[in-house]
Amino acid sequence: MSQATLPATPQQSTPFYRDVRMIGILAQVAFVIIIILVGAFLLNNVRAGLRANGRVFSWNFLNQTAGFEIAEGPTFLTSDTYRRAFVVGAINTLRVAGIGIVLATLLGVTIGIARLSTNWLVRTLATIYVEIIRNTPLLVQLFFWYFAVILSLPDIRNAINMPGLGMISNRGVQLSWPFITVTGSGWRIWLLGALIAAVLVGIWQRRRLRAQGKLVGGFGVASLTFLLVAVIGYGVTYLTADLPANMTYELRRGDRGTLYVDANANGAYDNNVDRPLAFVLVNLLAEDGSMLATTRTDNEGAFIFTDLGEQQGESITWEKPTPVIISRPQMQGFNARGGLPIKPEYAGLLLGLVIYTAAFISEIVRAGINSVPKGQWEASRALGLNAGATLRMVVLPQALRVAIPPMTSQFLNLTKNSSLAVAVGYPDLFGVSQTILNQSGAELQIFVMLMGTYLSFSLITSAFTNWYNRRMSLKER
Amino acid sequence: MAQADFTPNVWVNRQHPQPARKAPPSEVGVLGWLRANLFSSIGNTLLTLLTAVVVYTLVPNIIAWVAEANWFPVWANRKLLAVGGYPAERLMQPMLILMLLSFLFGVSGGRWGSIVRNVAIGLGVILLLWTVAPTGSWVQVRMGIALALLVVGYLIGRFLPVPNRVLALAWVLFIPIGLLLLSGGIRLFGLAWFPWGPPVPSNLWGGLLLTSLLTIIGISCSFPIGVALALGRRSNLPAIRYFCIAYIEFIRGVPLISLLFMAMVVLPLFLPAGMTNPANVTRAVIAITLFSAAYLAETVRGGLAAVPKGQYEAADALGLGGWQKLRMIVLPQALRAVIPALVGQFIGLFKDTSLVALVGLTDFLNAGRSVLVQPAWSQIAGGITYEVYLAIAVVYLVFSFGMSWASRSLEHQLGVGKR
Repeated sequence: MSQATLPATPQQSTPFYRDVRMIGILAQVAFVIIIILVGAFLLNNVRAGLRANGRVFSWNFLNQTAGFEIAEGPTFLTSDTYRRAFVVGAINTLRVAGIGIVLATLLGVTIGIARLSTNWLVRTLATIYVEIIRNTPLLVQLFFWYFAVILSLPDIRNAINMPGLGMISNRGVQLSWPFITVTGSGWRIWLLGALIAAVLVGIWQRRRLRAQGKLVGGFGVASLTFLLVAVIGYGVTYLTADLPANMTYELRRGDRGTLYVDANANGAYDNNVDRPLAFVLVNLLAEDGSMLATTRTDNEGAFIFTDLGEQQGESITWEKPTPVIISRPQMQGFNARGGLPIKPEYAGLLLGLVIYTAAFISEIVRAGINSVPKGQWEASRALGLNAGATLRMVVLPQALRVAIPPMTSQFLNLTKNSSLAVAVGYPDLFGVSQTILNQSGAELQIFVMLMGTYLSFSLITSAFTNWYNRRMSLKER
Repeated sequence: MAQADFTPNVWVNRQHPQPARKAPPSEVGVLGWLRANLFSSIGNTLLTLLTAVVVYTLVPNIIAWVAEANWFPVWANRKLLAVGGYPAERLMQPMLILMLLSFLFGVSGGRWGSIVRNVAIGLGVILLLWTVAPTGSWVQVRMGIALALLVVGYLIGRFLPVPNRVLALAWVLFIPIGLLLLSGGIRLFGLAWFPWGPPVPSNLWGGLLLTSLLTIIGISCSFPIGVALALGRRSNLPAIRYFCIAYIEFIRGVPLISLLFMAMVVLPLFLPAGMTNPANVTRAVIAITLFSAAYLAETVRGGLAAVPKGQYEAADALGLGGWQKLRMIVLPQALRAVIPALVGQFIGLFKDTSLVALVGLTDFLNAGRSVLVQPAWSQIAGGITYEVYLAIAVVYLVFSFGMSWASRSLEHQLGVGKR
């Protein structure tokens, strides 16, 4: 054997301090001990500091009365607790993030495609947009949109009217908006049914087409089904639904009042007990029964007749409304009533976030489409697929695989960036937490809750991204 | 074989080829470009016309507005925007930093070229503008000196053999020297040395000066932490790996503004009793550093993943130790691969420092906002909100876009992915 040529070395075990595995274990133990020591030191400081100020760490403050108002989102009364304030803040964050994500995606995809356009003018404009937006801080943009643009819009009396769409003023936007009325509540079930029917029909049609060896389709038939069921449902609801029993009204000063269902049958309107009836057409009658004016109740059941002059009404009658009405904003005195009001803070924040995020999304879309080799287009055309089918079946699946993960991270960025709402005074999660902190002085608890909530958004997003990456990763055989 | 019987069945005139005809005028030159880029189809033509109408109605209005807008308040507040509340009689100190910076950029640009040279050129242009701008004060002279130092530095770096090590050391020393100049001296072990008068407290530092300070210190402090976190995340020791993952994911999951706010409110709670609260600027720097380190770590991790396994094995085969392997083989390749991404991060950090405006620091954004509330401009009809915010945005835009432009040539030079 070759043993002979080598000098015989005595079999010696490596000393433990030269053993790589041992060093690793020791290093980790040392690391953990250091972390624990640092953590203990910090916690001890907190404990000592709290004790020195005579304070205790507890979560009881969550049940205290908040005592402040939250101008947007779900109803919040000053008598509600801090706990509910925090929840309302979180809902407000999701309210702006959810709409923002949808709008930013639409705008971003449009700009991304524009940047790839063969049209020089369109391409150049899109590039200028992206470069300007990406290279200025979001906070500057938010300040600009809110303080410079929205707040210097004309006041409500001179509001800019967009026929059919709504009005814009420095008090925000009031959109014409469809609302489901008191007779239309049954229609929601029809809509749900229409959706289920459409999905089923779509799947059935797709199977049928595939069995015939055709390219997959079925979207058209599904949409048609949805439309058909929804329209039938609308008619049926309108014919069968009736106005609720014991409807009554209050009429004050001959021209205003509230229309409601008298739930406790005491003949007077009680704010939290009786149910106001929104979007019902009401007619004002004079003493002799002649009709003086017509209006529609607002979303809180209130009505007011204007332009009556000296006349005063004696009673009102009402008509059964259609299941859905489109409420248009109208000027009444110094206020705009009706429609869907959007506060200037919400509008400014949404505008800033959407325009900012769309620039980043457009870059992702562009990179995604560019990542599909030109040969893929050519090959699918050579196979006889038309342009639409090429895009749908060859290019998009490959582009999406590249684009979806960075896209979700942009969605998450938008959600996190919505914390800049404090800059424009929109009461989001962060803004509300700040108010709670200032009032209650519970810094650590708020810190934990705030970070925990944002982290859970982030973890949900990354769980989705990981799932998607696993599903879409190239199956190499 | 049957090959011999092959005769071509096409006759080709090789002696007298017809000269190629000229391309039709509609396909080349200006006309061809117009046709290909603007009017290639009916839809495209409509799109062009529509966009042209929009541009044609908007652009003259925008130009007219810019010409008529009242830019005087911004111009009158240039000192506030540049350095915030820094005492006027002590402006020589930040000016010295600028001169030092110009000189260093000059030498480095001459020595290293590429992106550093581009940045040096950009700095030179800005200095030149301030030298010729009619500010009618010592500012012009001082800016001229800084410009001269930049040029001299460039020539030195270009033609004299300045060792890289000396230059790198100069950059490392730049930050402490800069801080020393800014506060106007140093207090160490009971000894105080303030040659220019009483120290300038950090709450007076502001404007573009504070924004650059936060950016530079943020990036230089977070860089080593980020590299360490990236290495830790790839470590095969689970305790260290999980700690790094937890840290990175935590920071990346929460917004910067919440970290900044917590650094202002919660940080003092964690300090031992009797320790004075750090200055607001310091707390902001801590939050920005902790934030930026997590993002840097992810970028560097991408670079580490791009180093082929063979490089590690080759280093092992050469008998390099762990530290040597990292310093001489792995990190140079990993960092080179991600320099463009690092520049992007630098730009992002520069923009993100504007958030300190929300926790009450007078950075560039807040300095600009304070112009808005000055009583002198309250009589101006229509206000000056548009002008001030646009001016702020343009300055951020020039710096960010300048940096991204400077780094654009880099990707070709480094040949990322081509080696």
